Amino acid sequence: MKIPMRWIRDYAEIPMDAAAYQDKMIMIGDGVEGYEYLGAEVEGVVVGRVLTCEPHPNSDHLHVTTVDVGEAEPLHVVCGAPNVAAGQLVPVAKVGAKLPGGVTIKKGKLRGEVSEGMICSGEELGVPVELYPSVGAAGILVFQEDYPLGADVRPILGLDDTVMDFEVLANRPDCLSVWGIARETAVACGTEFHKPEIHVKEAGGDIHDYVSIEVKDPDLCPRYIARVIKDVRVGPSPKWLREYLYGAGMRSINNVVDITNFVMLETGHPMHAFDLDKVEGHKIIVRRTVEGEHITTLDGKQHPMQPGQLAICDAVKPSCVAGVMGGEESEITESTKTVMFECAVFDQASTRLTSRALGIRTESSGRFEKGVSVRTAMEAIERACQMINELDAGDVVSGVIDLYPNPAQEQTVTASLEKITRRTGVEIPPETVVEILRRLHFGVTRDGDTITAAVPDFRQDVEGPADLSEEALRVYGYDKIPSTRLRGETTAGGRSEEMRLRDRIARVLTGLGFYEIMNYSFVSPRTVDRLHLAEDDPRRDMLAIRNPLGEDTSVMRTTLMPDMLKTLALNMNHGNERARLYEMSTVYDPAHRTAEGLPEEHRVLTLGAYGKEEDFFSLRAVCERLLNQLGVATVPYVGSEPYLHPGRRAELRCGDEVVCVIGEVHPDVREGFDMPGRAWVAEMSLVALAKLAAPMGVVKPMPRYPAVTRDLSLVMAESTQVGPMLHDMAEAAGAILEDARMFDVFRSPVLGLDRKSVAFSFTLRGADHTLTEEEITRAMNKILKVAGEKYGAAIRG
Amino acid sequence: MGMKERIAEIHEAMLRELAGTDEMKSLEALRVKVLGKKGDLTALLRSMGQLSPEERPAAGALINEERERITALLEERAQTLKEMARKEALKRETIDVTEPVTMPAIGSEHPVTLVMNEMIDCFTGMGFEVVEGPEVELDHYNFELMNIPKNHPARDAQDTFYVDDNIVLRTHTSPMQARTMLTRKPPIRVICPGRVFRADEVDATHSPVFHQMEGLVIDKDVTMADLRGTLNAFAEYVYGKGITTRFRPSFFPFTEPSTEVDLTCAACHGKGCRVCKGTGWIEVLGGGMVNPKVLEMCGIDSSVYSGFAFGIGLERIAMQRYGIPDMRLMYEGDVRFLGQFR
Repeated sequence: MKIPMRWIRDYAEIPMDAAAYQDKMIMIGDGVEGYEYLGAEVEGVVVGRVLTCEPHPNSDHLHVTTVDVGEAEPLHVVCGAPNVAAGQLVPVAKVGAKLPGGVTIKKGKLRGEVSEGMICSGEELGVPVELYPSVGAAGILVFQEDYPLGADVRPILGLDDTVMDFEVLANRPDCLSVWGIARETAVACGTEFHKPEIHVKEAGGDIHDYVSIEVKDPDLCPRYIARVIKDVRVGPSPKWLREYLYGAGMRSINNVVDITNFVMLETGHPMHAFDLDKVEGHKIIVRRTVEGEHITTLDGKQHPMQPGQLAICDAVKPSCVAGVMGGEESEITESTKTVMFECAVFDQASTRLTSRALGIRTESSGRFEKGVSVRTAMEAIERACQMINELDAGDVVSGVIDLYPNPAQEQTVTASLEKITRRTGVEIPPETVVEILRRLHFGVTRDGDTITAAVPDFRQDVEGPADLSEEALRVYGYDKIPSTRLRGETTAGGRSEEMRLRDRIARVLTGLGFYEIMNYSFVSPRTVDRLHLAEDDPRRDMLAIRNPLGEDTSVMRTTLMPDMLKTLALNMNHGNERARLYEMSTVYDPAHRTAEGLPEEHRVLTLGAYGKEEDFFSLRAVCERLLNQLGVATVPYVGSEPYLHPGRRAELRCGDEVVCVIGEVHPDVREGFDMPGRAWVAEMSLVALAKLAAPMGVVKPMPRYPAVTRDLSLVMAESTQVGPMLHDMAEAAGAILEDARMFDVFRSPVLGLDRKSVAFSFTLRGADHTLTEEEITRAMNKILKVAGEKYGAAIRG
Repeated sequence: MGMKERIAEIHEAMLRELAGTDEMKSLEALRVKVLGKKGDLTALLRSMGQLSPEERPAAGALINEERERITALLEERAQTLKEMARKEALKRETIDVTEPVTMPAIGSEHPVTLVMNEMIDCFTGMGFEVVEGPEVELDHYNFELMNIPKNHPARDAQDTFYVDDNIVLRTHTSPMQARTMLTRKPPIRVICPGRVFRADEVDATHSPVFHQMEGLVIDKDVTMADLRGTLNAFAEYVYGKGITTRFRPSFFPFTEPSTEVDLTCAACHGKGCRVCKGTGWIEVLGGGMVNPKVLEMCGIDSSVYSGFAFGIGLERIAMQRYGIPDMRLMYEGDVRFLGQFR
């Protein structure tokens, strides 16, 4: 909220500059976004009188003037404004003066005539029309009143003030007002808050003869106060009022409307002024709208109302959206004769929902949403009537209508002083706590350690002792909070088992050159199409967000693969030669729900790689190394993921469980992801890994007996899968097998069509004796047997 | 020519040739020429038969002396030649040790993970346990138990993604406070790092997905001073010695009193610079004493226990720490960006 310091100073002294004041306010809990000196960009502009004004000899629109700026000699100034004339009192930017936009005035010649300055328009000085109405768009600004020559124009134009921009906390709607800020200012600066005395001079008559009011839905409108002003004299507001409103960021409209805005800014109570003669039946009904009603608001827009939204209606129809915006029909105009002021309190949630639904946010709706105190409304409407008196804008009809069926009771909080301070961790003397609360306008009675604090009418956020702790602490000073370490029973702390598993995975993968990536948790529903997943693939069942930012981020992902493919493609398209990437993140399964009804979440690891050094086997090697590090023994089989190359996809199984799928990205899928080159990807479930990961156990003793190595070259069908075969051969060899590996594959027409010769090497070793030739032969025979019987492989002969 | 003269002649000739040897082979040839079976000195020894028996012992001694001298000279020369050969070999093997190398590839964790792990290390060292909770969360935990009832304006500040009326994408890690309090007995010291979601349009400083870390302590007599002490320890651990906290009054529905916490600007150590906009402070996190209403809703007796909670945005810390100018870089996955972290 923007407030000119001058306005705050009307009610509380600020014995310091804006910077120091800002710090004080921040440290007491009233955030300040910043402050701005209104005349910061205007310097060296003074009042001058045009002495002579002649047409420029070489121009048909310029004038040559002499201007008295209170110096020994008048200035020669060339001026292009059509309205310049001798005798005028004008703002003159002297040589060296500064104007908004970084303009500096220099001495110069204009078509041969010397010019020692510039006569300024309002626009050139950054002064809007509503602040200084004499400013014509087409010409120079001409002062209406008399001012000493040479005087700085900034005070005259209302630019000699600093505007503070407060960032009011959500629990302090009372500070969305000058009085609220002034109260805080007085406490922060150690000065006094002076609220103006409010007296309204009534002009007789009876309000009930002018208007009748009915609140049909008091649940949404707990209080409705009205005052009537007759013989209204609508006109411009005085200069000071225009300046105050300008500083607060509002436009001046006319005296009556300005008063309602002024009172809202000053007290925090939104007000509305009705042209009572335009109110059908001179009747105000506050009620929920019904089907088919609509309202044309002040801005000329017609809004169809949804049933149940609160409206201010006349005898026949709704005219204002309660708490949000007034109606066009009863708007104050120059011909308005009778005005009704409304100062009401509307329900927070209802105002918020209606404002949302209609897409209208106003100063008024913002305040009602955050909460307006029902107890202080009378003060606000009386302040408005006092302003009517002061500005002589009309005559206040006697009487007030105040519909307030359930007056709010004064809130009190009873608390232990000791507990209030203990919570803060600061040793605030008890009498200081009491003093602080009194300065904050709490009515405090103390009985030893117990205090009873009556919450001031304007505060709605104080409910219990914890709130009093905060009040005491923020005034005493958050900077006085000492630094103490946690005491008491120690706790074990530490990472969860699952986190430690993730850390181990990250260590292995980063050691192998993989970078971790992160992607959004939501994707486009079309990503599963681009993966060519089958119609009945469970990954097509994705949790939808009701209010997504866009279609591309509208469902929660069931696989990380699309994001991996997207990222690989991005790197390729950015010209990066190689990449090794991994992501460990959550996928969401709406088909399976927790006991609370939430979709099951589990973490998945995805790997991706491309580059000259990469191929299917390099990535499979990485996966197997990782699994091996985690103690998960796997066997590779041909895979079936639809997004992978049909001839280059595998799955790694531990027993019957698939722990990893891996393969080259299918060319069709690459096309869909705009991926120019080949890439290899893998995915594993961290749930499965957590279940299967085994601790390493104890170390094996160093071998004491010699090992024997036997190589075998076996010829088999080209289609034979060597992975499972090697696994079976190793199993067959029994406990003495130490290592089994494949070291060569050989193809030749000599072997026959669709045949290959694969060379294996087996290392055998006895744990407690040197193997006999017989034992070795027995093991090798078992190996050959399974190779022959199960895989049709025979020794190359 | 007497024996002495003949020996001297052999000696001279040998010395001349010895100087000419430049490798072990020629040295060996020399040895054979002088000391070998058919060598000069051996011939001289053989010729001793021509001497009188009286002369023989003296001549034999002279020859043996000469033999020893020559053997020593040959050995000395052999040593020298060996050293020369070694030197020569080392010289041959000399490489340009300044030639550029290609470092083996190594990967790294994401900057957010790096920051998160550092914080986890700090807080686990203080006895905090790491807990994680659901990212798709019940409105009940995300809002209601955090003292943010339906239609509360505080819900606006956290533009929420809804799945349905009761299920949201969590807008903060705070619901884990409620889940922890409802399932554990004090003393409680937990941190909860994780993903959170806000319906913010993507730009340089906003992302609809980001990470937070929540901290919660519940025990008897926990105060704001303990929060400050804990966060001061965190500030020093993560940002280095001399970095401290500044507390400013603030408001969160789930804490009372509430505070914004600034840390000494690590770029200028509080002197004021471009990073901290001249203030010397960087706004880093929010926290406060757990609102007694929240304690009660979560089944903790607020007359016996009190606690503090805080929440830190990890992307913001990573951006400050590493000078990352645009949040989008962190969710794009370009290896030229990721390759800079260690």
